[in-house]
Amino acid sequence: MSFIEVDDLKKSFIVRKKREKGKLFREKQTVEALKGVSFEVEKGDLVGYIGPNGAGKSTTVKILSGILTPDGGEASVGGRVPWQDRKEYVKHIGVVFGQRSQLWWDVPIIDSYSLLKDIYKISKSDYESRLKELSEALQLEELMRTPLRLLSLGQRMRAELCGSLLHRPELLFLDEPTIGLDAVSKLALRDFLKWENREYGTTIMLTTHDMEDIAALCSRVMVLGHGKKLFDGKLPDLLEKFDTIRTVSVKYETDDPVLDMPESVKTGRNGDEIVITYSPKEFPTPELLKALQNAGKIREMTLQPENIDHLIASMYKEMDL
Amino acid sequence: MRAYLVVFRMRLLMELQYRGAMIGGILCQMFFGLVLTALYRALYAGHPQSVPIEHVVSYVWLQQAFFRMLLATDPDLLDKIRSGNIAYDMCRPVNMYWFYYARIAAQKLMGSLMRGVPMLMVAALLPKGWGLTLPDSPLGLLAAILSLVPGFFCMCALENVTMGFTMRTLDPRGIQSMLNLLMMTFSGNILPLTLFPDSWQRVITLLPYAQLLDAPIRLYTGEYAVTEAFHIIPVQALWAGLLIMLGTGIWKANRKRMIVQGG
Repeated sequence: MSFIEVDDLKKSFIVRKKREKGKLFREKQTVEALKGVSFEVEKGDLVGYIGPNGAGKSTTVKILSGILTPDGGEASVGGRVPWQDRKEYVKHIGVVFGQRSQLWWDVPIIDSYSLLKDIYKISKSDYESRLKELSEALQLEELMRTPLRLLSLGQRMRAELCGSLLHRPELLFLDEPTIGLDAVSKLALRDFLKWENREYGTTIMLTTHDMEDIAALCSRVMVLGHGKKLFDGKLPDLLEKFDTIRTVSVKYETDDPVLDMPESVKTGRNGDEIVITYSPKEFPTPELLKALQNAGKIREMTLQPENIDHLIASMYKEMDL
Repeated sequence: MRAYLVVFRMRLLMELQYRGAMIGGILCQMFFGLVLTALYRALYAGHPQSVPIEHVVSYVWLQQAFFRMLLATDPDLLDKIRSGNIAYDMCRPVNMYWFYYARIAAQKLMGSLMRGVPMLMVAALLPKGWGLTLPDSPLGLLAAILSLVPGFFCMCALENVTMGFTMRTLDPRGIQSMLNLLMMTFSGNILPLTLFPDSWQRVITLLPYAQLLDAPIRLYTGEYAVTEAFHIIPVQALWAGLLIMLGTGIWKANRKRMIVQGG
């Protein structure tokens, strides 16, 4: 039996629309956030969970962290059902919501930690050793006596992570942990997560929009769209399967190069740059290069790496969603 | 249990930081105290009532001093509900109702003590007929303090009912303004309940709002004899129990239909 087992999980929300003119009642609309999602995760795995806004990522995390009750389907984490006996279940998990804060705004972060110690009934010696270890790994020693409101975004995220890991959860949910962080903070955060995963075998489930998070951390990636699981496997496989659209930016020495491209290639302008989007399947790269060179003398050219938006967009196209 | 006590203590300490709000509150409540006292003195000058003016003035000062217990909502809690940060509290192995109850209790207790104690000291120094008079008897004072405890539990329970409703409506203003109207009228904050017609009082004093401050104040002024505490305190405790049951019921029902929006 796997550590996390999710079978045909369903959740819908009722959205009330604004009342239309001439109607007595507001219309209700049911939005299906999850339309039957199933997956399994083994203990110690580091899994990425990606998808566009509104795909149902956060809903899954909220269900698996015991906050929401699903409408249908089953789930168990370590043999426990998250939404039954919430108080017992949540002792074993940690959650970081990237856009929310669990620490007290007006008090030094060390005080928030000491409250968490009592909430999770952590023994004094265990708390002290764990706090020391985490504050070293997350470079928080200097900030312990600072109120949360005075911390920068990156510092705050590190402080939040520390708070979520004090009670040594077996499973950690990270909901967009790198949102808004600068490059250095992102790298530090990724290193820390790898360390925690390696050192303690903590299972980590990560939702993100940042493809690099996934590339750096996750051995496995699940893609969610419109409440359904679209892909489950290794990142290279995902890239190979759906890496269909590429973007190239070219600058020419001459002002108005005449490009002779087939219809499948889209061209646009961005200042003096020409932005070309093409699919190598339909128009092979060598031919594109030839066509570009024929148009004039190239001053500069950048091939942009695949980005997640294109990837998801092409997946939708392929799966006819 | 320890977690609830610790959150209570943390919230107490946090409230101590808001000293500017304390000074503002004291000034505001002193002003209201003086205006109401002047009003009742004018009323009595024309037409004395059955209740002695000293009792009414003490009543006004005690009401003003503990105003913060009646009407004060923790903005942090409302913010958590509105923004969805409540999600974090739901991932804790604690009972949500009591976790919030502890925070509400701490805020109300520290907030009103910080304002009430200095205010009552000033009020006691005012000239006779304008200021707070001494309690009727030492036993009366003791009974008043004792009955303030279940009254306080009632207040926090009422506040947590508001929180429960806010989880449904996401905006506390509707339910708050409705409940506050009842609160201000029937708790004796606007007009001392002792000045209501006797036939009204028979009903009003049984409402939950009369249990909050009215009952303790009447024990203080001697309006209620000390022995009456024996049937006042059970009524208060009953209301505290009922309101807590109502609150836990609402919170439980909320959990089933919970939606945490965004992100």
